[in-house]
Amino acid sequence: MKEQIAAIQTEALEQISAAGDERSLEDARVAVLGKKGTMTLVSAGIKDVPKEDKAAVGQLLNAARTAITTALEEKQIELREIADRKALAGIDVTLPARSLSVGALHPLTQIRDQAIGILRRMGFALADGPEIEDEFHCFDALNTPTDHPARNEKDTFYFDSGKLLRTHTSSVQIRTMEAQVPPVRIIAPGSAYRRDEIDATHLSVFNQLEGLYIGEDVSLPDLKGTLEYFLRELFGTTTEVRFRPHFFPFTEPSFEIDVKLQIKGQAPRWIEVAGCGMVDPAVFEAINQSRKDNAFDPEKVTGFAFGMGLDRLAMIRWGIKDIRLLIENDTRFLKQFA
Amino acid sequence: MNVSLNWLGTHLDLSGKSIKEIDDLFTFAGVEVEGIETTGIASEKIVVAQIMEAVQHPNADRLKVTQVDAGEGSLRQIVCGAKNYQVGDKVPCALPGAELPGGFTIGETKMRGVESKGMLCASSEIGLPEGEDGLLILPADSPIGKPVKELYDSDVLLELEVTPNRPDLLSHRGMARELATLLKTPLLDFPIPAVQPVSGASEIQLDAVDSCPLYTAVKIRGVKVQESPAWLKQRLESIGLRPINNIVDITNYVLHELGQPLHAFDAAKVSGKIVIRQAADGETFLALDESEHVLAASDLVISDESNVALALAGVMGGAESGVTESTTEILLESAYFTPQGIRRTSRKTALSSDSSYRFERGVDPQGVFAASALAAKLILEIAGGETDGKTWVTGEAPVLTRPVALDAKKLDQLMGGSIALTDAEEILTRLGLSKQSDGLWNVPSFRADLQRHIDLVEEIARVHGLEKVPSRFLGAFVPASAVDAAYDADMILRRRLAALGFFECQTIKLISDAQVADVLPLRPLQDGDVIRVKLPLSEDHAVMRPSIIPGLIASAERNVRQQVKSLKFFELGRVFRNAGGGKAKDQESETLALLLSGSASPTGWAQKDRTADLYDLKAAISALVGGRQVRFTPKDRAGFVLGSEIKVDDQTVGVFARLSPSRERELDFNTPVYVAELDLGKLRKLLTGVNHVTDLPQFPGSSRDASIELPASTANSVIEAALAKVNEPLLTGFECIDIFTDPSGEKLGADRKSVTYRFFYRASDRTLTTPEVDAPHQKILGALAKDLGVSFR
Repeated sequence: MKEQIAAIQTEALEQISAAGDERSLEDARVAVLGKKGTMTLVSAGIKDVPKEDKAAVGQLLNAARTAITTALEEKQIELREIADRKALAGIDVTLPARSLSVGALHPLTQIRDQAIGILRRMGFALADGPEIEDEFHCFDALNTPTDHPARNEKDTFYFDSGKLLRTHTSSVQIRTMEAQVPPVRIIAPGSAYRRDEIDATHLSVFNQLEGLYIGEDVSLPDLKGTLEYFLRELFGTTTEVRFRPHFFPFTEPSFEIDVKLQIKGQAPRWIEVAGCGMVDPAVFEAINQSRKDNAFDPEKVTGFAFGMGLDRLAMIRWGIKDIRLLIENDTRFLKQFA
Repeated sequence: MNVSLNWLGTHLDLSGKSIKEIDDLFTFAGVEVEGIETTGIASEKIVVAQIMEAVQHPNADRLKVTQVDAGEGSLRQIVCGAKNYQVGDKVPCALPGAELPGGFTIGETKMRGVESKGMLCASSEIGLPEGEDGLLILPADSPIGKPVKELYDSDVLLELEVTPNRPDLLSHRGMARELATLLKTPLLDFPIPAVQPVSGASEIQLDAVDSCPLYTAVKIRGVKVQESPAWLKQRLESIGLRPINNIVDITNYVLHELGQPLHAFDAAKVSGKIVIRQAADGETFLALDESEHVLAASDLVISDESNVALALAGVMGGAESGVTESTTEILLESAYFTPQGIRRTSRKTALSSDSSYRFERGVDPQGVFAASALAAKLILEIAGGETDGKTWVTGEAPVLTRPVALDAKKLDQLMGGSIALTDAEEILTRLGLSKQSDGLWNVPSFRADLQRHIDLVEEIARVHGLEKVPSRFLGAFVPASAVDAAYDADMILRRRLAALGFFECQTIKLISDAQVADVLPLRPLQDGDVIRVKLPLSEDHAVMRPSIIPGLIASAERNVRQQVKSLKFFELGRVFRNAGGGKAKDQESETLALLLSGSASPTGWAQKDRTADLYDLKAAISALVGGRQVRFTPKDRAGFVLGSEIKVDDQTVGVFARLSPSRERELDFNTPVYVAELDLGKLRKLLTGVNHVTDLPQFPGSSRDASIELPASTANSVIEAALAKVNEPLLTGFECIDIFTDPSGEKLGADRKSVTYRFFYRASDRTLTTPEVDAPHQKILGALAKDLGVSFR
């Protein structure tokens, strides 16, 4: 029996060593250690071994089994290493990527979202209103004289109904003050329309962002602080901001706001980004009349309003030279914003 | 408005002020500087040179080789093509390094093989007004070598944008007054002769006192109409005006000097009294620019007793009544016309002039006499003639200002305490206001824009400057609005679509009538639903879009022309319709539109091309609503194929279709174009997110597959409808995993299909045994077999 064990061990070790893959190694394992394997069978013979030899044969069996098992394990590790190396050898990490579809948000959405994000952080809530407006909300309540040039059919789109396409988002100021009481603190992004021929700097339909803050003791310092902080968040914390006196029918005093644009390789220049001012008391009077109350008592509340062209902000932000790129939706353009 | 800096300098001392300082000064006065143009010669290196010799160029018939003395001690050789000079003439010579208008710099060069060290110049080449052809011949006594610059005046032309509330700035005197206030420098004296007003009743009949509260006229006899003197021509040219004749030039000059428009009539062409009246409806008028106009009663005309309209009041003179070279007697009009009437007439007739521009903004009623007196004085000086010294007057100057209170407390609040009351009052005083004994402020007649407390505050804030106001940021809490919620939902949708490879578009909300054929609104359009603008800019932008799809189709078309292979576009925005055949109110609603065509995903070495189909679009919509099941229910749409309603959780949220193949060909698409328009309001509500998580199952589930054989034409919705009826608590879900057809008919009839579904079973409290799974599965198959009349493979 001792010889038998030695022979099985020798044969098994040879088989294991000869195995070229994991399958033939498994075959070798089954042939030796499986239910009907040679080792299993010979081990069953231990019961017939005379008592005095049992310990020695048992030892021999154990040693043989250990040797075989160890060889199996080592061979398996060796074979797996070979297989792994082979599998990796075919991989060329320098091949180009597969392509995924990459979409993008429109630049206008991106700049609007950035502006809205800053202003909401500053405590403004969103508001909106219709784009097909009436003269009251677009002009009358905004202290615009009945013969103001903006009300011209050459400058503003009218409908047979007498309504018009709002020429600015400032109409949302009126809509909001009709529906809310002070404090009012809103921003309103939206489309506005003017009868301008479309060219490199004009669109007949464009996008604005309106802001309004009405409350007790809202003053010029508030207007200045709010817009300075907003523009510095938008254009960079060191951006210089200046307020130029201007005229709008619905604010007094009124200002236009410039930021100093610093572009590498170009001389810094002031560029107009927004209009603003303290809400004209005449606007409050119109609101109160429309509301039939005195919720916006010009003796008690004051406020400021501002508005800016989002298309223009996008053009400044990304150096877009032709505004029409913003409505042509050329993938070569849109891809740059992915 | 154009302003000449030299002209301005006759009213206040601007010496030592750089152009940049003046630019800033205007800017912070609220006057936008739109352009600054320096006229005259800029370069020092253009000098007086004498032509000493000129010989024929050896290689060019039309060129001469000159030797010029530019005061350098030796002669300079310059090749020149001009013919108008003689040897000995003095001309401008641009030396190497001289920069000429247009930005090019003179260098030393060879012309046709001959050295040329500079350039002899014509007047227009060095920035002077266009002169005769050829070189500018300088006066014989011009010192050789002297910069030509010093022989000619230079000036700065400022192009200014004055806001509509400040008509008082629309003249050099007015602008100077403003600058003097801001600079705290005195305004120089500008003497204006006194006038002798007499009643004009015998000469002027004022029938329209509402439109013309004040009309004055001066008669001057024996004038000689001729070219203006040089100083006058230069004044006008300095602000870009063309001199005409001395009388017209004087009226134009006074307008730009004082801001009051004047008009000179040829008195010989006025029969009887001047009659100021509203026009008769239908009356015709031939303006001096030869344009003909049909007037209405709202237009004001200057007429005479023959009832002929001599001028369209304040807007433009008539072709027949103006001053010509044969005029000897003139009537000089100076009046106050009310802004509204002038604006209406100017707009209606599309006639505008420097005169109407000022009248429609409002001139200074007290300036009417001064302008008349200044013009009369100049006419007598320049054109000769004589006058009785009387100014005929009808009506009276309207008083447009009133005393205004300045509320110190409100001022302090609004300015954030940044200005002391005394400083604020000092600003008002400098602006020409004066404090009455009752504390109210008297406003000068030229500042009719100052009517209320807040108007005074505006002036104070403007002059004080916002840079002196502190910045403050205080927030009042305002709760988020429904619009905030909608905005957040929209951004989620946008980001999801961008992540799915879609490009967001912005298309114009005005579309053409032709594009209406491409609309796919949520509800089909009825007659009269389309909203048209009254006066479209062009046929391309005439209709308020009832759907976003036409815009997306146009964008896709543009990209197809750029050979873009994969077209995935979306846009969120408003759509417009006039619900109920135009009778009801116009409606604005918000939709999300999608367009998909071309490659489903990019191709490459590892990816085969696959044309996107409607199931891709369905998948995108499903991803948009958090993986909910999206179902399409066929419902025809005119002009499209495969029209369907889009349903999520049994709610119709939108409409889907493919462009008709003929329309696709027409637009040069060579792959199917799928479009969908979704109700944004409904989509937002579907983005509820998770309220409460579902516990994860504790026990494993099992699945069973079943292949259902049906006629190939049976819609899958039939199977889904049958499955929807199954009520089996252990069934947790199912999915369609395969559809098999065999056109050859070998494995399956060619008109049949085999649809394989996988069914998932699970109990929450135990692991199901095989019989426990088989039993409900068989029950379901039995129910399906009965319901669909099908067999299972």
